[in-house]
Amino acid sequence: MPDLSAMLEHLPAFWGGFLVTAEISVLSIIGSFIVGLIVALMRVSEAKAARLFALCYVDVFRNIPFLVLIFFAYYGLPEVGVYIDAFWTGCLALSIAVGAYVTETLRAGIVNIDKGIIEVAKSFGFGRIKLYTKIILPIAITSSIRPLGSVFINLILTTSILSAITLGELTSASKIIASTTFRPFEVYVFLVIFYGALTFALSALIATWHKHLNRYNEV
Amino acid sequence: MIEIKDLHKNFDDLEVLKGVDLTIRPAEVISILGGSGSGKSTMLRCINGLEEISSGSVVVDGLDVTKKDELKAVRKKCATVFQQFDLYPHLKVIENITLAPVQVLGVSKTDATNKARALLESVGLGDKADVYPAQLSGGQKQRVGICRALAVGPDYILLDEVTSSLDPEMTAEVLEILKNLANDGMTMISVTHEIEFAREISNRIVFLDQGKILCDLPTADFFSADGGMADPRIAKFLSKMGTGS
Repeated sequence: MPDLSAMLEHLPAFWGGFLVTAEISVLSIIGSFIVGLIVALMRVSEAKAARLFALCYVDVFRNIPFLVLIFFAYYGLPEVGVYIDAFWTGCLALSIAVGAYVTETLRAGIVNIDKGIIEVAKSFGFGRIKLYTKIILPIAITSSIRPLGSVFINLILTTSILSAITLGELTSASKIIASTTFRPFEVYVFLVIFYGALTFALSALIATWHKHLNRYNEV
Repeated sequence: MIEIKDLHKNFDDLEVLKGVDLTIRPAEVISILGGSGSGKSTMLRCINGLEEISSGSVVVDGLDVTKKDELKAVRKKCATVFQQFDLYPHLKVIENITLAPVQVLGVSKTDATNKARALLESVGLGDKADVYPAQLSGGQKQRVGICRALAVGPDYILLDEVTSSLDPEMTAEVLEILKNLANDGMTMISVTHEIEFAREISNRIVFLDQGKILCDLPTADFFSADGGMADPRIAKFLSKMGTGS
């Protein structure tokens, strides 16, 4: 019979893995947002070379399986003298791979802005930087916040794949507990609860932020 | 002074402006009339470089709009009020008005806010400073649009069919404000379908037809039987608009 109480003595091990997953998720969300923002700006840039680079980046990283990407970075790169530990390999790989999805989400937010609003700003003499920081990005981020939330929740779930490069995150910790206790049912119930806690927290945060950012749409 | 000489504008194969010559002196109020597709909005948009001109010249107070660095200065002199209001949706009414003065002209936030509040008071929206555009009616939005244009202290105001999206009641409230501005000596170039309004506030009426100026006359002459009305194209246009006598 399943006995969930048997997991209580393993809570510290779960907790250790949970902290690693939480830490790598937060860092990668920030990283992927920065990468996505920069590439999205290149994607809508007037410079053809920047647009082409951004398009290639998005196409490449949306078409590589994440597992292959981290194997390449963790096991392949040391062969050419580049060694990055599992934690930072995970962070970088997630930032770059998820950054491609952030790029497309933000791009959609940017191109959907009413052209009239941009024209008004231009007619008042706004330069490119102020046009983006004061008008385009605040509106684009506001309209993209929900889809961005989905992208970031997916990012949290994808961290489980990092167990494949020996990172001691939540899934990795659970596998070890399962192999020592022979209670996979109870272990994976706990695992689901821990992931659920993280994604639920992010969902709640996104919902609050969405409401705050969209306060101007309330009539 | 705004000097437009032999202005041509093409959109691919379509020639929208076919050699327009027009001079607008300070304190003049000019209404540009014409049917749909006559090129009147395009001409207005050429003045502040929202449309790149194909050939000819547009010079505002000696500044050439085709030169990038001079266009910047032109845009500081000419403020536009648009048909669809196009207020910044994410900013409160007061921030909509202060954004350009603070960010583009370098006015201090306090000064810009004080001026914006005074402008809002003058158009009867003193109590709407801290609401968002979505909470305003069309007429109120357009009044904010006018305040936003005035806040940069422009020498010229370009009005691009500013009442076309408004119902008659809201139109009246916006036109009243523009009338006051004209009386105060503001130079205005107004593309409009409001014939009566054009007649009431303009010194001159310019009639565009198929990308060319068909006539450019003082308002009284334009509406007189032996002036603009003598041209069958104009007489037909005015009769269709339910005006002209």
